[in-house]
This record gives sequence, structure tokens and C-alpha cells, in this order.
Amino acid sequence: MTTLQDKAAGGYEVKLGRLSTLTGKPTHYCAGCEHGVLTRLIANALEELGVREKTVLVDSVGCSVLAHDYINTDAVQVPHGRAPAVMTGIKKVRPDLLVFAVQGDGDAVSIGLLELIYAAIRGEPITVFLVNNAIYGMTGGQMAPTTPTGMVTTTTPWGRNLKDTGPPLDATKLLAGLEGPSYVKRVFLPVAPMGSTDLYSARGSLEGAKSVLNAFEVQLKGGFSFVEFISTCSVNWKMSVLESKRYASEVLTKIFPPGLYIDKMGIEKK
Amino acid sequence: MGQTAGLVQKSMVIIDTEVCKGCSLCVVSCPQKNLKLSEGLNRIGYHPVQFHYHGEKGDCTACGLCYWVCPDFAIAEVRRLKQ
Amino acid sequence: MKTEKEFVKGNEALALGALRAGMNAYFAYPITPSSEIPETLAREFKSPEYPEFKIFLQAASELEAINMVIGASSTGAKVMTATSGPGFSLKQEGISYGAAMELPFLVVDINRVGPGLGNLGPEQSDYFQATKGGGHGGYRSIVLAPNSVQEMAAFPALGFSLAFKHRCPVVILADAFLGQLKEDTTFPKIAQEQFETPWATTGARGAERHVIASLHLDFADQSKHSEHLMSKYEEVDKTEQRSEEYLTSDAEVVLVAFGVVSRLCRRAVKELRAKGVRAGLFRPVTLSPFPTKELKSLVDRGIKKFVVVELNVGQMVFDVRLAVEGKGSVDFIHRLGGFLPASSDIVSRVEMISR
Repeated sequence: MTTLQDKAAGGYEVKLGRLSTLTGKPTHYCAGCEHGVLTRLIANALEELGVREKTVLVDSVGCSVLAHDYINTDAVQVPHGRAPAVMTGIKKVRPDLLVFAVQGDGDAVSIGLLELIYAAIRGEPITVFLVNNAIYGMTGGQMAPTTPTGMVTTTTPWGRNLKDTGPPLDATKLLAGLEGPSYVKRVFLPVAPMGSTDLYSARGSLEGAKSVLNAFEVQLKGGFSFVEFISTCSVNWKMSVLESKRYASEVLTKIFPPGLYIDKMGIEKK
Repeated sequence: MGQTAGLVQKSMVIIDTEVCKGCSLCVVSCPQKNLKLSEGLNRIGYHPVQFHYHGEKGDCTACGLCYWVCPDFAIAEVRRLKQ
Repeated sequence: MKTEKEFVKGNEALALGALRAGMNAYFAYPITPSSEIPETLAREFKSPEYPEFKIFLQAASELEAINMVIGASSTGAKVMTATSGPGFSLKQEGISYGAAMELPFLVVDINRVGPGLGNLGPEQSDYFQATKGGGHGGYRSIVLAPNSVQEMAAFPALGFSLAFKHRCPVVILADAFLGQLKEDTTFPKIAQEQFETPWATTGARGAERHVIASLHLDFADQSKHSEHLMSKYEEVDKTEQRSEEYLTSDAEVVLVAFGVVSRLCRRAVKELRAKGVRAGLFRPVTLSPFPTKELKSLVDRGIKKFVVVELNVGQMVFDVRLAVEGKGSVDFIHRLGGFLPASSDIVSRVEMISR
């Protein structure tokens, strides 16, 4: 069962394989984390579009701070929340580059909310991927603006209190109300439990892959693109990997409904 | 380098066992149940996944879903017989 | 193209100076008393006289602006932003990152009264913030202190030159008075220095790629990076100190002042000399690196009395004391709240000290 045996070395073709857009370095992400999945989807899109040499990745602060260790492009690491402003600066000087950032919900929706909204208002031709796992992951599980009411976190051990903190903030809906963006989408990225069978649906990855590609294409056509990926944080939610997928599927999708919110260029119709 | 592959027929899944974190997302996503966490541990202390061409529900079809759900690039390649 | 004398405001001169230095991008946020800088640039945007000036954008906050500066600078472009005290505080995060990332951009601070909202008068109370690093971590910026509208016009070019040579942020620390002051200024013809930027992140080239990062989780990596920054600051200290002296060769008492205060002190020196006091003036032009070498040489020459005049509660005076190393007396005259001291005040005080 474990013998490596090529039937005939030349007999096989690689349907899905290693990418030049990945460094190959093993990630620091926790087991089962959607950051890893998104990294794969991004690398795949960059490879497919053939844009590795004109891409600049902007790392944010959070679990994605080391993204440049995994994605094999030029990269700039920036202060917490500032990625959309930095991307604006890069893109203004070099509009020929493809510029994108992977931001966590704390980074983009809390400290970086102004930078995110204004880049969206201006319709800057940049791309923001928001990994929303409803908590501050890298710093050890504090409340995030997207944390559901009642959720226990290290700064809300009593459960997030609606009266004190208000309800969770929906960044996709906020951006969807603006004129500037060209593509605003929310994807449920985790594998999803499928009712009675013990099989989990991988649709999230497949839809995610298409959405990442669409987002880059929108930028290449001059538009602001934003994709929010509902994700999980099993370690800080204090759940097992599969329990966290179930939680995301049952609870987060109700607070943050997946869907296509803005598609000015009709990129999804192609 | 610690790669494993089953006796292959129409398709083959190449796994980098040393980066696998045993998250089992591929295990639960595989429609044919070709993937299972191994008993042994890899160098980083996880039970890496193993590929079995003849899965519980059927033979591997190179659908690639495992590749797409893996967060660690442990599912390194999905190969199929040239047409 | 303006080559003859122009009667302009300090802020306008600085803006025009930056354009002549070939600035590519400016990110703006209005704050009195610096707003004429972005306003002048906005007027000149798209002017065929300045083809290098390609980007002018007003940001939603000083914080957004400095991060746009970081982005544009990472491509190797010549970038600047200007602000005043409260905005300068907001930019400290960006300057700290810029220093760690070794980016060559200009930040102009038109020092107004602080702390807090203060008022719109001139002060020199951002000295510590600019020279000792108002941002976190151990870094140093190069800080230039103009004292005339002519220098406001010339310092952006000097600033870019130093920034790209040493790959670090450069701060131009002027004050509210200088920003608003109008003087005859000669604008030289445009001579734009081109800088090599092999480190810029503008897309991978084959297997080679650049990463501009300030996070080095491995202690050995970070320590190497920090030592590299340290040695850079030592090099800057050795080679970039700049100062100006007036009548110090036979002085018994030397006034030390920067910015607009140095103009008052120059007048005070003349008045003191007329009264028989052998006074002189030492004017730091770079506040960082502080011109310790030249100041020490005054001490070595036998000058034992120094009087620091500043618009703050005492900031540069510490650097002067350090340079004098206890070999002479260092007195301090200050004025706060937006007032400038009258030169007669300086004269009477120095007279007292020199007796």
C-alpha cells in the first residue's frame, strides 16, 4: 500500500500539481485553517493568469503576516490594517502591477476599516481578500468586530455582549453599499458538512478558486475587487477542525450570507 | 522525501507526508474515500494522510477535490493516466 | 520655469522645491499651518513643467496618507507628505515601519504649538519626536531644519538625495512661522537626481524576488537587520552632519538655535557685538545627525559659554549638553505658546550670562 510504483513514468500527466507561484515552504497555519486553502487558490490563479512577475503581494498583520513566505512573488509587509492604503500607493505609481492583500477580519474590519472603505470608495484597482474567521487569531483569540454575539473569546469570556459592543460588523454589506467597488463577493470557503452523509462538500474551495480568479481579472480590467471568505479558527474557537466547519456552516453563514453582492463588469457571467 | 503513493492504476495522488497536519479535510471531502490518516506520525508530529487507489466507495477518479481542500500543499499532485 | 526671484511663502517654496527635485507622488491631508503645501502641489499638478509629478491624492487621514507613501516608496518612486504636529503623531507608525523597511521618503512637519491641538503658532516642540523617533523601536530619521524660505525650496532635493543614498525616511522639520513667511527666493533650474533602486518591489524577475518586510521572527535574522540599521545610522552620523556658524571664530558666548529662532539669534548676535559682547551663533542644519563634531570643536577652541534658544521647554538643549560634555555652561532661553522671543530679550539674557 505504500510502495511508490509508477505504472510507467511517462504514462501519467499531472492534472493538478506544484506551482511556481508557491515557495513550497510549509506553512505556520493551524491544521485545517482556510488561510492555507486560500494560499493555494491564490497561487493557482496567479499561475493560470501568468502574472507572477508583475504581482506584488501586500502582507497584513494577523495570521497572514507571513504570506510572503509561501507565495512566491515580490511582497511588501505593512502595518496592521493599512494594506489598502499601501496598495493604493503602489498601484498609483505602477498601474501595470497586480497588487493584492490577504487581510484578516481584525486587520480589515477593525483597525483598517477606514483604509478599506476609502480604497473601495475611490474604486482603486486593487484586490482585497478578507479571511473572516470571526476572531483575532494570531494574537490568541480575542473578540473581533465580526465575532458573533454570545461567542466566548479571551476578551469576552462572558460571551460577546450586544449592549456593550454592538452586533458583528458585515464588511461585505458595507462595501456593497458603495459605488466604487466593481466586484464584491462572499464565499463560504470551508468544507461543509452535508446532512446525513459523512461526506463534506468541497464546493467552497472550487467556488473560492473561481472567485479569486475573477477578482484578479476585475483588477486587471481596472476595478476594485473584494472577496470575503468565511473561514474557521478551530484553535481559538476551541473546537475540533471538523466541528469548526460545522459551526461556520450553521452559524456564520446566517450572520454573513454568502453571495455575489456587486459584479459591475459581469465577470461571473463569463 | 517521504512521499507515498498507492499502487496506481488510472490515477495517482502524490502526498508530501512531512507537511501534512492531519487536518483530515481531504479525508472527509473525498467522494470515494481514498484517503485515510495513517497510524504513524510524521516528523512534525501529525498523522499524515495516506492514499489508497481502491477506496472504500470506489477507485480514485482524479477529481482533485483533495488537492483543492488541502491547506498545507500536502496533496502535492494529482496525476492521471494520459488519454 | 521660475529661475528669477519669486516672493513666496515658505510652504509654497517647499512644494515648488519638491517639484523641482523631481518628486513623483504626493499624498495629502490638510492641516494648518501646512495646507499650502498640498494646495500648491494640487495647483501645479498636470503642469507640463513637472512631468515627473504624476500622482497627487488626498487621503482620508494622515494615517492613510503615510501608508500610501509607504506603498509608492516601495516601488522606488520619490514620495513626500507634509503635516503638522497632530498629524505628525499619526505618521509615527509609518515612519517607524519606513525606517525598518529602509524606504526613502520625505515627511515634512510644520511644527505648530502642542501638545494636543495646541494652536497655530510656531513651536519647536516636535524636535524629540522627529530626531529621537516618535515611533516605536530603535531607529533614527535624518532631520533637516531649514531657517529660510530659500532653504524650504532647497531642502526637498537635499532630502531626497539623502533618503535614497541611505535608504531611510527624511524629515524636514520647519515651523509655523517659516511656513507662512514670505521671502525672495531664487529657484534654480530643475536638476533631478536619478536614483538606483534595485531593492524595489515591482514584480519578481525569474527566480529572484524582493520582499520588503520589517518582521523577522527569528532573533538571529532580526538582530542582523538591527545591526545593519545601526551601522547605517553610524555612517549617517559620520558623513551627514551639517551646521552653520556666524562669528564664532572669536566668540566667548555662542548661541545655539535652529529654524526661525536662528534668524532672531543672528540679529541678537549683531546687537550683542555692538554692545561689546563677543557673541556667536551655531546653527544646526541637520538635527539628526546632530552636528556634534562641529559643536565639540567650538568647545575645543576654548568657548565655554553656550546659550540654547528654543521654542519648547527644552529639547535640543539636551543634545547641546551632551556635545559640550560638561566642559562649558549651557544655558537655556525658551518661549512657548506660539510667541517668538524678541531679540532684545535674548540680548539682555546673554548679556547677563556673559558677565
